[in-house]
Amino acid sequence: MILRALVLRPIFREPLRTTLTILGIAVGVAVVVAIALSNQSALRAFSESVDAVAGKANYQIVSDVAFSEDALRALQPFWPRGVRFAPVIDAEGIVEPSQEPIRLLGVDLLSDLHFRDYRYASVVTSGKESAATYLSLFGNDSVVIPATFAHDHSLRLGSPLILNIHGVQRTMIVRGLLEARGPATAFNGAIVIADLAVVQAAFGLAGRITRIDLIVPDESLIPEIQRVVPPSARLERPSRRNERVEKMLRAFRVNLFALAGVALLVGMFLVYNTVLISILRRAKDVGVLKTLGTSTSQVFASFVIEGLIFGAIGSVAGIALGRGLAWLILKLIGRTINALYINSTPEAIELTPGIIAAGIAVGTILSLLSAIQPSIEAAQLRPSLLLSGTVWRRQPRRQDQTQTSSPQRAQIVIAIVCFVIAVLLSRLPAWNGIAVAGYIAVLFVVAGFSALAALIVTGASRLLRAPYRAAFGIVGELASASIPASLRRTSIASAALSLAIGMMVAVALMVGSFRETVRVWVDQTVSSDLWLRPAKGLSNADSALFPNAISADLAKIPFIAAFDRARGRGVLYNDDRVLLASGDFAVAARFGDLPMIAPGRSSEALRNAIAKNGVVVSESFSLKYNKGVGDNITLPTIHGPRSFPITGVYRDYSNDRGVVAMDRGLFIHSFDDDAISTVVIYLKPGIDRDTARRSLEATLGPKYHAFAVTNGEIRGEVMKIFDQTFLITYALLAVAIVVAVLGVINTLAALILERKRELALLRVLGMTVVQVRRMLVLESSVLGLTSTAAGLAMGYVLSWILIYVINKQSFGWTIAFHTPVRLIATSLAVTFAASLVAGLVPSRLARRIDLAMAMKAE
Amino acid sequence: MRIRLEHVTHAYAGSDESAAVQVLGDISLDIASGDFAVLMGASGSGKSTLLNLIGAVDKPTSGSIFLDDTETSALDDWRLTMLRRRSIGYIFQFFNLIPTLNVFENVAFPLSLANAPRSEVKSRVAEALTSVGLGKRATHYPNELSGGEMQRAAIARAIVHNPPLILADEPTGNLDSKNGEMILDLIRSIHKSRRPTIVMATHSERAAAYGDYVIEVADGRVSGVGDRESEQRPAISSVALPAQEPARAQDVLAPTPDPRTATPAT
Repeated sequence: MILRALVLRPIFREPLRTTLTILGIAVGVAVVVAIALSNQSALRAFSESVDAVAGKANYQIVSDVAFSEDALRALQPFWPRGVRFAPVIDAEGIVEPSQEPIRLLGVDLLSDLHFRDYRYASVVTSGKESAATYLSLFGNDSVVIPATFAHDHSLRLGSPLILNIHGVQRTMIVRGLLEARGPATAFNGAIVIADLAVVQAAFGLAGRITRIDLIVPDESLIPEIQRVVPPSARLERPSRRNERVEKMLRAFRVNLFALAGVALLVGMFLVYNTVLISILRRAKDVGVLKTLGTSTSQVFASFVIEGLIFGAIGSVAGIALGRGLAWLILKLIGRTINALYINSTPEAIELTPGIIAAGIAVGTILSLLSAIQPSIEAAQLRPSLLLSGTVWRRQPRRQDQTQTSSPQRAQIVIAIVCFVIAVLLSRLPAWNGIAVAGYIAVLFVVAGFSALAALIVTGASRLLRAPYRAAFGIVGELASASIPASLRRTSIASAALSLAIGMMVAVALMVGSFRETVRVWVDQTVSSDLWLRPAKGLSNADSALFPNAISADLAKIPFIAAFDRARGRGVLYNDDRVLLASGDFAVAARFGDLPMIAPGRSSEALRNAIAKNGVVVSESFSLKYNKGVGDNITLPTIHGPRSFPITGVYRDYSNDRGVVAMDRGLFIHSFDDDAISTVVIYLKPGIDRDTARRSLEATLGPKYHAFAVTNGEIRGEVMKIFDQTFLITYALLAVAIVVAVLGVINTLAALILERKRELALLRVLGMTVVQVRRMLVLESSVLGLTSTAAGLAMGYVLSWILIYVINKQSFGWTIAFHTPVRLIATSLAVTFAASLVAGLVPSRLARRIDLAMAMKAE
Repeated sequence: MRIRLEHVTHAYAGSDESAAVQVLGDISLDIASGDFAVLMGASGSGKSTLLNLIGAVDKPTSGSIFLDDTETSALDDWRLTMLRRRSIGYIFQFFNLIPTLNVFENVAFPLSLANAPRSEVKSRVAEALTSVGLGKRATHYPNELSGGEMQRAAIARAIVHNPPLILADEPTGNLDSKNGEMILDLIRSIHKSRRPTIVMATHSERAAAYGDYVIEVADGRVSGVGDRESEQRPAISSVALPAQEPARAQDVLAPTPDPRTATPAT
């Protein structure tokens, strides 16, 4: 009965309040679910590809470079002991002319049957019913592709397929189509399978393989197998690769979850606010029930149950909403992950029981937590107070009241304590590569500003009173006076909106600073005249390569002053996958200008590297592994692990995993890889870039499929990738703003319902409906302006932590502070406009107030 | 301002037609300009509803209401608002001052809505506050005033724009007898000096004695009229009385106590 009176009936009688509350929780939950779903999907796509390609193998001998197939001979003694093994060449490349990335899997089609399940949809046959039917698959230009890939690219049996693997371009013939199962599903079907010997012959890998898949029936054999592994390779479980990828993406994922946390935090404010307002509005009913003998715990339980009901319904709605949002996020982060981390096409979104449970838990627990404090307050109030109606009356303050009251002093003290803790936390180092202290510092800054919310609202409204009166007359004055009069309700809405705006400003400042830093860095780094690339885009840089033969042709071109051949690949360092880059250091030292941290000049670092067979490392590498000039690092080479001295540390924003760069000569010697991913060209003085570009493309284009791009185009492309990377960030912040605006709508709607009598009085005294609505929108504008001002201040503080603590610790990048004025001004204008709209929606309620009913004596 | 009601009924809508609550039944009433009429009746008799209808706060379910020659029951919302703003002053049982405005600003409210010049607002508010004895409380907020002071401020707000009609709904209902008497004296003296039409709803005989005559309201019907000075009496009718031609007040006379001899209402 108590539950019905206090909770259930009001839920149905006030559909607007109910809807807004549920929507607030739902949006918060949706963001978290969406990010969990999209993260899971992106990673699952990668790990499923790895599993599909690995087949039944429980161990693999893998290497960052191709190694001799002699290793297979060393494994022969294990065959009688049940160990099965299959050689594999696993290479990335592109399909010409579309330049789509493709995975080429070279396998021994016969021994491979132990490992992978190939189900042919159709094959080219000789037309005879014999064992030779399938022999065409072993033809020296034969490849097998998934039927889905064939369908998407209009390929049929017998169609030619041009592959460019490690800079070698070959036309192959499709001789078999695979059903969509097993390896045919890896990499979203963008895979080409061919006989090992065919791949070795066609792509210059004679006698070499990149991997051996193993089925080891007995773990006790591992130490023995370990002994026959070639020096440049290592024995590991296939799952190890997934773990590494997961680790690589961790900082990125943590950042996404932190942003989702903001939306959720704003949502929590909203729930707290709604529950508080709904309890305040039912104070009289609580009083009556308590007078009639309802116990404190019964009242408390009723309101907590209300929080649970809202939490549960909001969570379910949020999970549904989150699924849709995940699809959108996946489109955005899929691109980022592909551009910066791994090549993987995210698959369909799968709502697992784990994610459903997490979504429901997040929504329910948070709304429960939000409900507890106001429920305690309501439960503890004395019935006599509640009945007299003196509690929670709008409390105006005298205008000339300048002395600080004790609750205000307490708020200031709490804020100062929070800020001091935040400062201390921001000085702590990262934990396990994650800026945990930094994130907690952000929470303390938010708490500090929230503690000040009431003071900020009061102060700002007081400041606005005179200008509002001057601009909008009595309507403006009433509006500015009304917000601080309902401080308990409005300050929470204002804190939520401030938080959303603050985070938005902070992220805008961080992204803006980052963008400006990258722009300056790109300008300095990309100083050459032209870049020659085997593919048009930057995103598939590792897949498309030139053969070393292009060097001789380049040397013959008269207008080229010098060229620097770059090649990058992944390499394991400390069990992390870092980027190993190489270039002609002598050319770079003379013509290029790498932004250095130590030593001061890049030419010195590069010449030292050549002289000492050393490397230069990126700032993120240096910070992550605490290595600097003079230290040594050990990398796996084809000759086994080798130690390299560090001769320089340079700034780099292309990669947060860390980059190790070495001279091309040393790279070829260490990794037996002379392919080239990009040629950086410096022209002789007086040579026109466009003429040179056309000439280069005409000379080298047909032979090497080379594209020449100017440094301006490269810069543009870098900035484009940068902007794409941060799209998700903006999308999440937009969600936080939406949640906050919902909060303002909710608060104002509740205030209007509560102030029915007051608004009716104003109407009786001669205010028109339009004037009342204008007053309510102006009230919303006071809330909007207050929150915007507080949010701007909070944003600057938070951006400092984001740039100098979180970003530095998570990614190892030094960013110079820069205010993107236009971006921030636009965002603030949009949020302010949104807060006005938030006032417009509930102001429609004003029209519906029945004057006579509202004016009835209490 | 003359007030005329012709066959006015009022019902509050229920969930369906059968659940509608009839509050007033076929009332006709004529109050002359400058009268101080008292609507008297018990709680729930319909007097506040009648006051709301006269004050253009509510619309009748059927029938017509005229203030002077204007049929208010036919006006749209905007015109009704303007009528309330310019021509009517309200005094409520619960004072209904705006808590976020100080006394001066509360009293100035009707003038501010009408965009009166600043100097005029200043002088008229000062005059109104002086006339109710609150000249020194102008900068105080409602929560810093006593009940009597709040009601005096509300009276100042009701008279500041010099309306031809003042409506008072139980103006002493929330005050002690001393303050109640003070307020009634004030209303009476305002009537004397400014001659607006005043309609006051009350259930207290003591308060009713301050009016020129009493219109008794019971069960949604006007059941009788008593006048203090026999020349002034309104024409009234209700379903209980012969309809069509409004009955004259003297047909249903009731004795009215003299305010000077009556005992104060508690």
